[in-house]
Amino acid sequence: MTRRLIVLAILIALLVGAAIAELALGAVKVPPGEVLDILFGNGKAGPNHQIVESLRLPRTVEALVVGAALGVAGAILQGALANPLASPDVIGVTGGAGFGAILIIVLFPEKIALLPIGALFFGLLAAAMVFLFAWTGRNRGSIAKVVLAGIAMLSLFTAGTTGLLAAFPEKAPSAIFFLAGGLTSSGWESLDTTWPYFLAGAILVLFLIRPLDRLALGDDVAASLGSRPQLIRLGAAVAAALLAAASAAIAGLLAFLGLVVPHVVRMAGRTSSQTFVVPASALGGAALLAAGDTLARTVRAPIELPVGPFMVILGVPVFLWLLRRAL
Amino acid sequence: MEAAVQPAYPLPLEAYDVRVTIGGTPIVHGATLQVRPGELVAVVGPNGAGKSTLVRAVCGLQRPSGGVVAWWGRDVSSLRGRELARLRAFVPQRMPVPAGVTVREAVTIGRSSQLRVLGRMTRADRDAIERALARAEVGRFAERALTTLSGGELQRVQIAIGLAQEAPVLIADEPTSQLDLGATVEVAGLLRSLTGQGLTVLLVVHDLALAAAIADTVVVVSAGRTVAAGPPREVLTPERLAEVWRTDARLSEHDGRTALHVAWLGER
Repeated sequence: MTRRLIVLAILIALLVGAAIAELALGAVKVPPGEVLDILFGNGKAGPNHQIVESLRLPRTVEALVVGAALGVAGAILQGALANPLASPDVIGVTGGAGFGAILIIVLFPEKIALLPIGALFFGLLAAAMVFLFAWTGRNRGSIAKVVLAGIAMLSLFTAGTTGLLAAFPEKAPSAIFFLAGGLTSSGWESLDTTWPYFLAGAILVLFLIRPLDRLALGDDVAASLGSRPQLIRLGAAVAAALLAAASAAIAGLLAFLGLVVPHVVRMAGRTSSQTFVVPASALGGAALLAAGDTLARTVRAPIELPVGPFMVILGVPVFLWLLRRAL
Repeated sequence: MEAAVQPAYPLPLEAYDVRVTIGGTPIVHGATLQVRPGELVAVVGPNGAGKSTLVRAVCGLQRPSGGVVAWWGRDVSSLRGRELARLRAFVPQRMPVPAGVTVREAVTIGRSSQLRVLGRMTRADRDAIERALARAEVGRFAERALTTLSGGELQRVQIAIGLAQEAPVLIADEPTSQLDLGATVEVAGLLRSLTGQGLTVLLVVHDLALAAAIADTVVVVSAGRTVAAGPPREVLTPERLAEVWRTDARLSEHDGRTALHVAWLGER
């Protein structure tokens, strides 16, 4: 128990540190003290105030929200599918969102503002198709059926994306940022359109935590305790689809985060109890994405690189270190 | 339900002419059983006879295609999952063993069936968890991870998960089939002593000598039908063993020890 509290405390400290770094560092460095003054409304008006409040604050909030959402999406999918390799990839969301975004970039470049909507729509569409195939017919909602339908849908949409890029190679450079996963300093606009999806996903997750713990003891135990296994899996998949599609709309494809963060917190907390893993994955995902984005904005400042690769570079060593020490 | 099959007072569990079809294949063709309060009932029968399917159907885990299953006179199909979880606990043959879950956490999950959605654990719930750990004799290793337990320990933990529900009936599907002799004796003793404490127990068992030793009532399932029910000595006769198991065998009982004498290689 104490171990879990310590892990949670460390994650909160990392999250606060990463968020302050994200606000303070960049092409213009703002001292952390001034950042805090600005956040609490005591800052002097001026360019720093402007940069922190209208550029970096929305971006930091995006990083925290997307990081938390992807961490939680991975945690509940791994739980629901009893599969350590599960991430929003396996319910088709990532493939669909990638296709939707590239479709806008390639066919409607003048309407680039539609990119988040395209990613969101196709991400949810791909997930809906997975649900349609996996939750009908015999053995509906079985793990194998969900995973196989998900992989099929992922392949289908990835083929679409690759096909589009091959047909319009000149669009590839603008697509890379989305495919690699990157945040932008575009104010509150993208959160304004996506917050209902994050909120709906988060509320659904609250109701799933205990049923997912029951499911960890097998479908029979869960069913005899009054839960419906295939309904729990559907709920978890819907919640993960909402969180991951909204995340893709903001930050592109960051599949790695949802895969790895839940494992890191499980190994660190030495438990797979969802009452711990879900909140810890939210904190860990948020901290990792904010830290990665700080790196992405600073290593070649003023050029801003996509956060995806940096997050992986930060996350993999921690993951491997814990993996070596795990059972 | 027909008046003819309705007893004067509702029994914990009654099943009449239960039929189960899975994927178009009929598995259970007409099974009838009754479980009286405070007794230990053993369902026995050859492999593939439909014992597990029958037990899953009466538990509400498998929808029957015909017949009636009633818990205290209430039709199983009218009971919601959480209501059912208050009436009976089900211990599957072998549950998956998730990494990073301790014995106490697993038993806590068993108790979670009694909580409201998003409701917090009360003092009574925590007491129920402690009682379940103690009754199943797993309190000693409550903080250990499930992955570190032996087969016998794990089976007792599964029973503790069921006991945490504090349901009056416990149903277990072949709780000893994977255990060595010592662990089998332990689990059998535990189930018998739980029955002595007022719990009603329904088991699927393969070992006829074990069933004869611990059961008050034996129900024989053969080819999807219940063919006999009653005290072990009356039911597990050499004639029935020959008919149902196609084996020349006879049960013996002496000083609380039971044995199955089998002509393994036929007549000599």
